[in-house]
Amino acid sequence: MTIYDMISLAPLWILSSAAILIFFSISIKRNHKVIFVITVLSLMADFAFVSTYSIHHLHSIEPLLVIDGFGVFNIGLILLTTLVVTLISYAYFEQREERKEEYYILMILAALGAIMLVISKHFVSLFLGLEILSVSLYALIAYLRKRERSDEAGIKYLILAAFSSAFLLFGMALVYATTGSMEFAGIAAWITRAHEMPVMVITGFGMMIVGIGFKLGIVPFHMWAPDVYEGSPAPVTAFIATVSKGGMIALLVRFFNTLNGYQYTTFMLVFTILAIASMFIGNILALRQNNVKRLLAYSSIAHLGYVLVAFLAGEKLGMEAVIFYLVAYFITTLGAFGILATLSDKDRDAELLEDYRGLLWKRPLTAIVFSAMLLSLAGIPLTAGFVGKFYVIAAGIHTHRWLLVIILVINSVIGLYYYIKLIAVMFDQKQEPRPSQDLHPLVYIVSSVTMAILVLSLFWIGVNPEGMMTLIRSVL
Amino acid sequence: MKTLPIESGLLLAGVLFTLGLISVLVRRNIIFMLISVEIMLNAAGLAFIVAGSRWAQADGQVMFIFILTMAAAEVSVGLALILQIYHHLKTLDSDAADRMNG
Repeated sequence: MTIYDMISLAPLWILSSAAILIFFSISIKRNHKVIFVITVLSLMADFAFVSTYSIHHLHSIEPLLVIDGFGVFNIGLILLTTLVVTLISYAYFEQREERKEEYYILMILAALGAIMLVISKHFVSLFLGLEILSVSLYALIAYLRKRERSDEAGIKYLILAAFSSAFLLFGMALVYATTGSMEFAGIAAWITRAHEMPVMVITGFGMMIVGIGFKLGIVPFHMWAPDVYEGSPAPVTAFIATVSKGGMIALLVRFFNTLNGYQYTTFMLVFTILAIASMFIGNILALRQNNVKRLLAYSSIAHLGYVLVAFLAGEKLGMEAVIFYLVAYFITTLGAFGILATLSDKDRDAELLEDYRGLLWKRPLTAIVFSAMLLSLAGIPLTAGFVGKFYVIAAGIHTHRWLLVIILVINSVIGLYYYIKLIAVMFDQKQEPRPSQDLHPLVYIVSSVTMAILVLSLFWIGVNPEGMMTLIRSVL
Repeated sequence: MKTLPIESGLLLAGVLFTLGLISVLVRRNIIFMLISVEIMLNAAGLAFIVAGSRWAQADGQVMFIFILTMAAAEVSVGLALILQIYHHLKTLDSDAADRMNG
């Protein structure tokens, strides 16, 4: 490893040293505020460092990692998302009695794993990144130990994640046994030479799709999503819905493009079926949910289906659409779960539909922000979600994937129903005094400013998407 | 030294993997489910070693060590969670730990 390699890996170094620093500072004294500030500063410093990379930065650390424009963009996205999750976590954990400091270590490590995932170009780094992310998530999901359902959600996620990791690993082993390479480029070269794919490689890729599909939470590997969303603390749910899924999508895009998987009709067929099933089942199951967290879980299954449409469209426009949709989806999901976290009280999360009844009259600003986020999820014009969906449809039409585009449009209409239902509940008139919160007002300022920034960027991207589009185009 | 054909090694790994898969689906005790998942992971590790020996590379064994480390980390978190569940429910039946549905 040269000095230049070391410098290129600075985003990883900064995060791992921040985790160690927090570790030591906890052993000296437990102070939630100090730990929070260290976490925020290190994430900001890391983002500042990453943003100094030029757009055409290309540096590979053989054989494991490659840091290119695509990777840098995703690292930046992951860091900003983690920052927002940390900011909304502060008020959420401040009102709880449990030990809250270790939470930030786990959060940083999970971000580290996701970053490793998006810059990997080798099975070993893929596996390492994925597992750093997953093992941190097991602990994060079950973090609120006194809460009844968190251990159940944790063990469900653990068993299923390990189960799917085993599939992924066995698939990798089969591919390695046949091709003799664990590097994406090496596998691609072997497949090009072989002309025809042997059964073992197809089986291997099939098993890998099971592992990847689980992480993405697409149908039929979605069973864990509602339970885990419901059982974990609201900020952790936001993290799972964004960083964990987005990192995997970025990896899938890189892997598929290196392999040039678009020429294999089998894979395209499999992903088409997965996308259609995710859109329909996600949206239809969301219709009958009364729990807002479960509703958002099913809605995120459907949204991953939309992302897959853009992914299947392929070519440059498809990749742009994938990234743009991810950005829009990240902002919206963070906003929605951020509101959920701010409304939660000491004992439980604000997850029932009843918690939102008449919210507009009790906390008008919160209700308006939440409505904006839901409208963006539904894809109403002027929001980022609309531009994202528009982009996906444009990409789909560009490569003539009419079936997928039509199904996407049908599903957008189905989705509209449950988002509007939730908004209607908030507009419902029902006066009832809410128990007042007794935290220091400063705590809420952090959350409010974060929410304000999210809403602003939601509308900014929705009204004026050119800036983001140019940025995405230049990194690809 | 006589070398085994790669197919028999992969076959063994496949059989182990299938056994783990079946028992994860059949078992209802959470500890046994965890053990079954470990069997699946180790089957994948064995497949990596077989594949590595076919190409005479160390990569397969490197991967196995990573899998071993990861499995250990996973089991430690898993056992902590299982203890927690046992405290709450006084049972390790996975059907009892199913209070969320819909």
